[in-house]
Amino acid sequence: MNMLFFAALIAYFAASAAQFFGAAMKKEGPRKIARLLFGAGLLLHTAYMVWRGIEARRVPLANQFEFASGFAWAAVVIGFILYSRLKQQWVMTAAMPAAFLVLSYAAFQPMEIKDIMPALRSTWFVLHIGSAAFSYAAFAIAGSLGVSYLVQLKKGKKEDDARMKQIDYLGYRLVCLGFLLLTVVIFSGAIWAEQAWSSWWSWDPKETWALITWIFYAIYLHQRLRLKWQGKRMAWLAVVAVVLVVFTFAGVNLLLPGLHSYAV
Amino acid sequence: MKKFLRFIRSMKFGMILLILVMALSLAGSLIPQQDKAMRYVSLYGDKTAALLIGLGATDIFHTWYFYALEILLCLNLVLCSILRFPRIRKAAAEWQKKAENAETDQPLSEGQRSKLEEYLSTRRYGKAARDGGAVYRKNALGFYGSFLTHLSILLVLLFGSLVLLTPDIQDRTLMPGDTLTLDDGTQITCDSFHIEDETGKLDYASVLTAASADGKEAKQQEVRVNTPLRFGAYKIYQHTYGTAGQVKITNRKNGAEDLVTLTEPTNLLIDPMNGVIFNALYPAYLVDADGNYTLITNTSGSYPDPVYDIRSISGGMSASMLAFPGEELVNGDIAFTFLDPVEYPGLRIKHVSPWLFGGLYFSFGLMVLALYLCFFAVPVYVSVKDDGYAVLSPKIQEGLLIDLRALLEEKEESA
Repeated sequence: MNMLFFAALIAYFAASAAQFFGAAMKKEGPRKIARLLFGAGLLLHTAYMVWRGIEARRVPLANQFEFASGFAWAAVVIGFILYSRLKQQWVMTAAMPAAFLVLSYAAFQPMEIKDIMPALRSTWFVLHIGSAAFSYAAFAIAGSLGVSYLVQLKKGKKEDDARMKQIDYLGYRLVCLGFLLLTVVIFSGAIWAEQAWSSWWSWDPKETWALITWIFYAIYLHQRLRLKWQGKRMAWLAVVAVVLVVFTFAGVNLLLPGLHSYAV
Repeated sequence: MKKFLRFIRSMKFGMILLILVMALSLAGSLIPQQDKAMRYVSLYGDKTAALLIGLGATDIFHTWYFYALEILLCLNLVLCSILRFPRIRKAAAEWQKKAENAETDQPLSEGQRSKLEEYLSTRRYGKAARDGGAVYRKNALGFYGSFLTHLSILLVLLFGSLVLLTPDIQDRTLMPGDTLTLDDGTQITCDSFHIEDETGKLDYASVLTAASADGKEAKQQEVRVNTPLRFGAYKIYQHTYGTAGQVKITNRKNGAEDLVTLTEPTNLLIDPMNGVIFNALYPAYLVDADGNYTLITNTSGSYPDPVYDIRSISGGMSASMLAFPGEELVNGDIAFTFLDPVEYPGLRIKHVSPWLFGGLYFSFGLMVLALYLCFFAVPVYVSVKDDGYAVLSPKIQEGLLIDLRALLEEKEESA
C-alpha cells in the first residue's frame, strides 16, 4: 500500500511541474492538467492515510513520517479550499510545491507502522497534532506566497498591482489562520503535558521553538496591523518565518533531543 | 518622565521585549540547561563554560533577567492594551452612533432594499430599527479582540507562573501493597502496578487508592501516563517505574521467615563469614554453546528472564554467582529463596490549587477566542434607508472590501 503514497508524491510533483510550465507559458491547458493531477494526488494521499490509520488503529500522525504526510495533506486541502474560493492560479502555484516538498521530506523518513507509545495515547493527541499540521501548512503556503511575491517583484511587477496586493493579503490571512492554530497547538500541548508529565511547560526544545515561532509571527502580525507594513517586507518576514517553522518541525527532532524525541 | 512612560507603554517597547524573549529562548534551547558544570567544561572549554555559568546561560529560564523580561512584558501589556479598555469601549459606541447617523452613499431601489436586507439577515447581521431605516451589525465583539488577546496573554503569564512556581512536588516510589502517608495525613496506597498489559503492550499502569486523613473520603483509580489521580488539591502521576528483586529468607531451625525487597546492592549477611550480597537484578540473559552467560542490562518492558547477580559467602569464602527466580541457596540453617521480581511505580505527588489550573485553562480558552475575534470577526455596520445604504467598518481590510464589493455588485447587477 506504500504505492499509494509514492503515487501521490509523483502526482504532486507532476502537478507542480505542469503548474510552473503553464505559468511560464501563460497557458491554461497545463494548469488545468496540474489541478487534475493535484486532485488525483490528494485522493491517493487521502486513501493512503486512511489505510495507514486503519492498519495502525490510530490517527496516522504519531511520528515524523506520519506528521510530514499529514502536514502535506493539510497544505493540499488548504490549497484547494483557497482555490475554490478565489479561483486564482497563483494560489495553486504556491500550494503545489509546498505540498510536494513536505511530502518529499516524508519519503525520506522511516515508514514502518509502529505501536504508539503510552504517552501518546491521549484524547489531546488529535487536537494537538492535527492543529499543528494545519498550522504549519498555512504557514508553509504563506511562505510560498511570500516567495512568489518576491519573484514577481523581481520580474518587475509593482507593489500596487492588484494581483500583488491579493497575494500579499492572502499571505497575511494565512498567517492569521496559522497563528490561531499554533496557539491551539501550544495550549493543547500544555494541558496534555500537565496531564502526562505534571508540568504544563518544561522549556523542552520543541516547546521553546514553538514559542519562538509564535513570537516571530506575533511580531509579523503587529507590524502588519499596527505599523501597516505590507508588500515586500511582509513577504520577507513570511519567508524567514517558514525557516523557523521548518526548524521547529524537523530540525528540533534531529538536533535537539528532548521530551518530543519520540516524534522522530 | 512622560517620555519614559510613553516608551514603556509603546508597541515598540513590546516588540523589543518579545525579541529579547525570543533571543534568550533560542540561547536556552541551544545551550544544555541545568546540567553539571563538568558537562559545560567538556562542551565549551574552561573559560567559556565559566562565562556561561556566570551569566546564568546554563539555567537561562530561571535567571533574574528572564523573570525581569516577563515582568516588563506584563507591565507593557497592562499599559499598552489593558488600560485602553475604556477607549475601546467608547470607540465601539461611537461606531454604533456613526452607523445610525450615516449618510447613505449607495442608492437603493425598492426591490434592492428588500434583497439587501434579506441577504444581511441570512448572514446573521443583528438588526436595530430606526426612523426610516435600520442598522445591521455584525461581529461587534471584534472590537474587543485585540484587548482580550492582550488580557489573556497577561492571564496566561500570571496563572502560568503561579502554577509553575507554587506547587509542592515530591517524587516517591511505592511498592505494591505499601501505603504512603503525606504531611497532612492523606494516605496513598499502591494496590497494584504493571509495566505491560495482558497483551504484552507497554502500559505502565498503577491502581492507587487515596484516602483523606479522617478516612471519610477515598478514591481508587487506575493511574497511567495521561491519567493522573486527582484527590482534593493533590494530583498523583505515574512518573517512573522500576523492577525490584525479592528474596525470602527462612530460618529452617525455627521456621521464621522474612521477605526482603531488593532495589539496590544489599548485604544479606547472617554473620561476617556467611550470607549473601545482592549486587543487581538483570532483565534477561543469553547463554552460548559453552554455557557462558551474557547479561542483558536494560529493557523498557517487563523482565522476560530475570536473573540475580549475587555473591555467596560461606565460611568466609565468597563466590560470584547467578540465581534464578525459584532457586534456593542454603547457608547453614538459613535458606535464601529468590522470587519473581516485583514491578513498582515511581509516583509524582503534586499539591496545587485547582483554582490556579482553572485560571490557566480559562486564559488559554480566552486567548483562542480572542484571536478568533481579532482575525476573523471584523465589525461591520450596514445602515439601510429607503433611498440607499452605507457600509461602515472600523477595521477596513482588503478581504472584507473585496467580499462586500462583490456582494454589492451582484445585488446591483441582479437589480
